[in-house]
Amino acid sequence: MTRSVPQSKSAWRDIAMRTVLAILGGYAFTYAFTAALARLLPLAPVDALIVATLPSYLVYTVAVLWAFAARSLRQAWYCALLALPLALIGFWPQLMERIG
Amino acid sequence: MKKQSFTQSMAWLHTWGGLLLGWLLFAIFLTGTLAVFDKEIDGWMRPEVPAYTGSQQDALQRAVDFLQVRHPNAPSWNINLPTERSSNLSVSTGEQRRGGGQLLDPTTGEPITARETAGGGFFFRFHFTLNMPRTIGIWIVGVAAMAMLVALISGIVIHKKIFKDFFTFRPGKGQRSWLDAHNASGVLLLPFHLMITYTGLVIFFLLYMPAAVDALYAGDRQAAIDDLRGGAVAQRAARAGAVNPPMADVPLAPLGPILTQAEAAMGPVGGLSIQNPVRSGARIEVRPVLGNRIELTKGRSMSFDGVSGAVLRAPDDSRPSLLTQRVMAGLHFAQFGGYPMRWLYWLCGMVSCGMIATGLVHFCIKRRRKYAEQSPASRRFHRLVESLNLAAVVGLSLACIGLLWANRLLPMQLPQRGDWEVRVFFIVWAAGLAHALWRPSLRGWVEQLVLLALLCLGLPVLSLATTSEVPWTDPVRLWLELTCVAMGAALLWLARKVALRAAVAQPAPRRAAMKLKEMHS
Repeated sequence: MTRSVPQSKSAWRDIAMRTVLAILGGYAFTYAFTAALARLLPLAPVDALIVATLPSYLVYTVAVLWAFAARSLRQAWYCALLALPLALIGFWPQLMERIG
Repeated sequence: MKKQSFTQSMAWLHTWGGLLLGWLLFAIFLTGTLAVFDKEIDGWMRPEVPAYTGSQQDALQRAVDFLQVRHPNAPSWNINLPTERSSNLSVSTGEQRRGGGQLLDPTTGEPITARETAGGGFFFRFHFTLNMPRTIGIWIVGVAAMAMLVALISGIVIHKKIFKDFFTFRPGKGQRSWLDAHNASGVLLLPFHLMITYTGLVIFFLLYMPAAVDALYAGDRQAAIDDLRGGAVAQRAARAGAVNPPMADVPLAPLGPILTQAEAAMGPVGGLSIQNPVRSGARIEVRPVLGNRIELTKGRSMSFDGVSGAVLRAPDDSRPSLLTQRVMAGLHFAQFGGYPMRWLYWLCGMVSCGMIATGLVHFCIKRRRKYAEQSPASRRFHRLVESLNLAAVVGLSLACIGLLWANRLLPMQLPQRGDWEVRVFFIVWAAGLAHALWRPSLRGWVEQLVLLALLCLGLPVLSLATTSEVPWTDPVRLWLELTCVAMGAALLWLARKVALRAAVAQPAPRRAAMKLKEMHS
């Protein structure tokens, strides 16, 4: 069932891309997700910190699985790209300070 | 891996992720399982410390008497008390709190010199730092733990027949049996595997995932931690400001009631420190042993006035969110529930190790025939994986038991003896790898398993030959050695199983040649 030996060069490239997307893209997504969640939770900062961080390992797991489960490479990218808007929410005050 | 079904892609990920990080994960799980009994192993490694069954209060009095004679003018005393799990009574002066210090005989109060040893703490440290610089090690172990989580979830996905597999075991059927063993151990203890992996990550949660700290505290982790501990920090700061200059000599408050009071508030006590001992302004801080409850309470303590014996500060409670994190960390540390819980964790940990090991072995067995028909490069790859499997599973186990043998066999006066024990650990592991690369796969497994079994079975003999005490005077030592013998017997049985298979699997011409030889002799 498992294809253990990649048949061609393009298969290798596909695997390499997905691995990078899973590890780095997945972490970026998780990081941004956690920051946004911590920002949005209506709790004291201390509590928001813990409540947002504890589930992050499950979020990362799902992101890694997504990178390998996605039908195409393009779909695998979606998760990593979602990090941008999420980071915008999470670091909104810092961004406003930088601009204003 | 183009155009595959969801299950297929998950199977691919499970196979390759599991293989590449399985070697590391086995090392983490095995040392972690041994670390469940770190204090007991530590006791075994310091046979000079006599077993202590008396009360903590008596031991404390002896420590204070010793300090009063030897260090009457020290700015502070630290005392680590013997507990249910350890007979160590140690004292030190000054700021140093953990490790080191002077060991005392808890029954007589006389100083004793124990051998220098890496101690049972080695397995604990290796479990989360791999004996590397702390931060690097923690990150590598974190990556492995994430891979474990991914492997577990993808493993569940590829098991549609999860309930059926629960009851399926077909022993003696080669490849099928290895897969069954992997599935059964995986499914049976799935909650444990998930719990131990996830809570392991939670221990260093702010280090691995600092996003919320960066967003809400501008990346200042210390500020976040201070905020988390809230009350305790404020109190500590207030105390730092109000240091009374020590004055006249005043006797210490009676320690018995203080110990009883602290125990009532926090559970069994692990140690205490006394600021300005035997002077006015004396202050006693009592620490509980780690984990009287599920919550992991590092740095928890209760303060008493050292002259009047009055309570200065009650132990502070965690806020609910922090309590959640600490309970998760506590579930990983397994310091609650006493010995029954400890044995349960040990058994579950061993099953986890078995699951990882059978998974690694299954990878090779499933592909043996396939690789044999392919190019020399893939045959070489297969051979390398087989060797690494052997070195990672049995080689590491050899290194662990080798550390215990080194503890008894290295010369007592060897400088930096503890470091040498660790060196022996790594030398044995490297030798295991060299042997695995050199010997044919199944033969290599048999030889290393037999050696491992013999080292386990021989441990009580070695201990008897090198120490003056007999094992049954010390229940902890007795249990450790009995467990080793039981494991040795199980390993011997396993070695026999593999040896039978090795005989079958031997290439036909060689077998014929051997038969010929037998006939001639």
